[in-house]
Amino acid sequence: MPRVTFEHIVKRFGAVTVLDGLNLTVEDGDFLVLLGPSGCGKTTLLNLLAGLLDVTSGRIMIGDRDVTELDPKDRGLAMVFQSYALYPTKTVEGNLRFGLSARKLPRDEVEARVKWASDLLQIGPLMGRKPAELSGGQRQRVAIGRALVKHADVLLFDEPLSNLDAKLRTEMRLEIKKLHDTLKPTVVYVTHDQIEAMTMATHIAIMSGGAIQQFGTPDEVYEHPANLFVAGFIGSPAMNLTPGRYVTAGGTPYAEFPDGARIDLTAYPFATSPVEGAAIAVGMRPEHFVLDRAQVPPGHTAFDLTVRMVERTGSDALIAVSFANDQLFVRAEPDRAAKTRAGETVPVQYPTAKLNLFDAQSGRRL
Amino acid sequence: MTVDAPPVMFPRKPKRITGKSIAVLTLLTMSALFFCIPLYVLVVTSFKDMDQIRDGAMFAMPTTWSLEAWRFAWFEACSGLSCDGLQAGFWNSVVILAPSLVASITLSMITGYALALWEVRWSGPFLFLLFLCAFVPFQIIMYPLIRLTVQMGIYGSITAIAFVHTVLAMPVLTLIFRNYYKDIPPELIKAAIMDSGSFWRIFVEIILPMSGNILIVVLIMQITSIWNDYLIGVTFGGLGTSPMTVHLANMVTVSTGTVSYNVNMAAALLTAIPPLVIYFVLGKFFVQGIAAGAIKG
Amino acid sequence: MTFRWSRITPQIALLPAVGITLVAFLGSIGWTVLMSFTRSRRLPEYKIDMENPFRQYNRLFADVGWNISISNLVVLALGSAMAIVLGFVLAALIERERRGEDFFRTVFLYPLAVSLIVTGVAWRWIFNPQYGIENALHALGWESASFNWLSDPQTAMYSIIIASIWQSSGFYMALMLAGLKGINTEIWSAARIDGVSLWRVYLEIIIPMMRFTFLTCAILLSLGVIKAFDIILAMTNGGPGQSTWVPAYFTINAMSAKGNLGFASAAASMMLLITLAVFLPLVALTAWQQRQARKGAH
Repeated sequence: MPRVTFEHIVKRFGAVTVLDGLNLTVEDGDFLVLLGPSGCGKTTLLNLLAGLLDVTSGRIMIGDRDVTELDPKDRGLAMVFQSYALYPTKTVEGNLRFGLSARKLPRDEVEARVKWASDLLQIGPLMGRKPAELSGGQRQRVAIGRALVKHADVLLFDEPLSNLDAKLRTEMRLEIKKLHDTLKPTVVYVTHDQIEAMTMATHIAIMSGGAIQQFGTPDEVYEHPANLFVAGFIGSPAMNLTPGRYVTAGGTPYAEFPDGARIDLTAYPFATSPVEGAAIAVGMRPEHFVLDRAQVPPGHTAFDLTVRMVERTGSDALIAVSFANDQLFVRAEPDRAAKTRAGETVPVQYPTAKLNLFDAQSGRRL
Repeated sequence: MTVDAPPVMFPRKPKRITGKSIAVLTLLTMSALFFCIPLYVLVVTSFKDMDQIRDGAMFAMPTTWSLEAWRFAWFEACSGLSCDGLQAGFWNSVVILAPSLVASITLSMITGYALALWEVRWSGPFLFLLFLCAFVPFQIIMYPLIRLTVQMGIYGSITAIAFVHTVLAMPVLTLIFRNYYKDIPPELIKAAIMDSGSFWRIFVEIILPMSGNILIVVLIMQITSIWNDYLIGVTFGGLGTSPMTVHLANMVTVSTGTVSYNVNMAAALLTAIPPLVIYFVLGKFFVQGIAAGAIKG
Repeated sequence: MTFRWSRITPQIALLPAVGITLVAFLGSIGWTVLMSFTRSRRLPEYKIDMENPFRQYNRLFADVGWNISISNLVVLALGSAMAIVLGFVLAALIERERRGEDFFRTVFLYPLAVSLIVTGVAWRWIFNPQYGIENALHALGWESASFNWLSDPQTAMYSIIIASIWQSSGFYMALMLAGLKGINTEIWSAARIDGVSLWRVYLEIIIPMMRFTFLTCAILLSLGVIKAFDIILAMTNGGPGQSTWVPAYFTINAMSAKGNLGFASAAASMMLLITLAVFLPLVALTAWQQRQARKGAH
């Protein structure tokens, strides 16, 4: 299984530059998710890799082959599409076979592969049906089957689950993950759904405005977002981002907020030290708050904050509290939230090491 | 246990026929009668003998139904110098129809397919050009086409007629096929490109089987227009290769001797029957063809 | 850019169509226009007549037959426009009264499946002074009825108009019916609740809503009129005299009967010019209307 490398990829459509000098490496056997809002260039990047679009400049390598100028069928890829793109006039079996039509394979090899894929995906009973006679989930399986029979080294997925309902989506997510674990192909998977990204990926590339904002494991992008965009994009409910200033008093670094409140930053692992008085954004994840003040361990900051509103979703609850002329969302146990009323004051603490500080100007993590 | 009682019915009140409806239906029926007059007089006249025709009364039914005029029109009527009846023209039309249909539809289909589903840099300007060509009057390209077919050595043959039919139908048919193929989801063609990558294989295995509907529509459109064509047949056909319409026109525009109106009517009907049969059997597709042909802009 | 079959094959597949477009259409048009500036007679001469390049056009505009053709073209266009009106009325009636829709549509549309030569034969028979409709009306007691239109230069054109209305109304009806069906049924309910009379609904709401359809019909009608040839040939063969000549007939006559290539080319070029003059503004108008409609939708 090869690695996939994008080198200095530029893609323009007329005067519009969609990708501007993008570099990315997908390691052998990796499950890379390209994640981003619509229009960020992720699907363009996938289509460039598939050969369905041509690069304006740059080079795409699969293993040690330069595939930039190759026809799609010669790149050794298989792709699963959002709409499944099954051939409506062919049966399921015909769909699987057509996937092999570019390769001149011996007849029994074709038979063997079709059988293998149908067993693997349990679509044997559907082989004689037309796509119109299949349910959404079945079509999805057939589409994956059509990609798998090719024994391609690299599998591409273009938002394959977005046409399924929530329950099926969860099932197929697990199924795709399982397939990757058994077959270990190199996967490039495009989605705008961060749950899919977090659950399936070995690496995530978060894209925005045609550039990769951060490349890392799911944990890395979640715990250490590289910039304000990633911080705001990853996580649901979203990270609280509060504007403030960096100040030092008596050698101790603080984040100071417009209302005068301060957070001691001694325990924060600075990557770069900001200058005195610099504008910063302080990011706190709703789930890292602890609603308790009885014991404040070292390296935690504690406040008493006024509740504005309580939002319960069944398995979870969010409490909106006033903070620094703004509000923070704090995740709470449903039982705790049930006892909380708007207007009350609640004790809240947050571990300093889990703060996310960003330079307000450049957006970069501090 | 079974209950044999009839199910309780709640009959809907039958839609009342209002005065307005009656007025509308009467108007429509009268218009329909007007539309039927020409066909009706053609039919009744063709079954009369000349004596009865001379009596006048064009709307009257034949007193004795005679097939003589039909027989004569088919076997003996004179068209120009030859007096073999319309049958020669009929077979010419059939022979013209086959290659014209195959050539015009194949060419337009492949062109439409390439323009709709494959990336061709100059497809935009080319489509615009085709759109303009679709409206060019035949007369302005007629003489050059004659010279072209003469140089190709096919002038006066069935091949020439089929060639000109193919040329003239190409812009409109291409636009129709292109519009149809444009509605195929782009992901489907992307998948096919990744799976097979072969232009022809994708056409034969994926696109052709999906073209059933539009193919019937275009087929009917083309059969009717090729069968009914006069100008191309008379311009590019030779003495022995002119289609039925040309024979008919020669037959009825004869100005010498007494005119056998019944034979003329029978000949006209014989010419009209093939497209009419197709029309009455496959009318639904015919209407679709009209819509497709008209609203291509 | 390296050589890739996936790029090349579609372009190869397009070659025949491109060839036809360039040679049979553009080349031929260019050739004919060129001929119209030469002194070609029976055989083409390729030298442009430098002394008087517009010689053929001057002759053309002075030609009685051409002037008749042009005025007949206008008469035919105006007269055939009745087919659009009739088509709309029929479509509206069918649409109001859903009963028998298929039947009526089939009846109104069948003339379109019939060759214009056959149409000509049928109508010539109907207008036959001895045995035709005139005779039939006389027999019914209307002694003064005169339908000998085809042999009178004043009226021959009208008989052609009637025949072409008969032939094409069904076509416009089919287009109008499609247009009417595209109109939201709630419009009717709204009008009924507001108590607006049917006439006003049609005149003030439905017809303006269907302006694309009307425009399409107008474009197709004018193109059809310019191309009209078969029906003339079959009904009057241009006669009596030159009274039913139209440009399409004139051009072919100049080419085949007179055998004057330069002259015929000038006439054909004028036909192209007329087509463009009618066609381009209408297409531009349609495009503009569509853009307006799209703007309105946003």
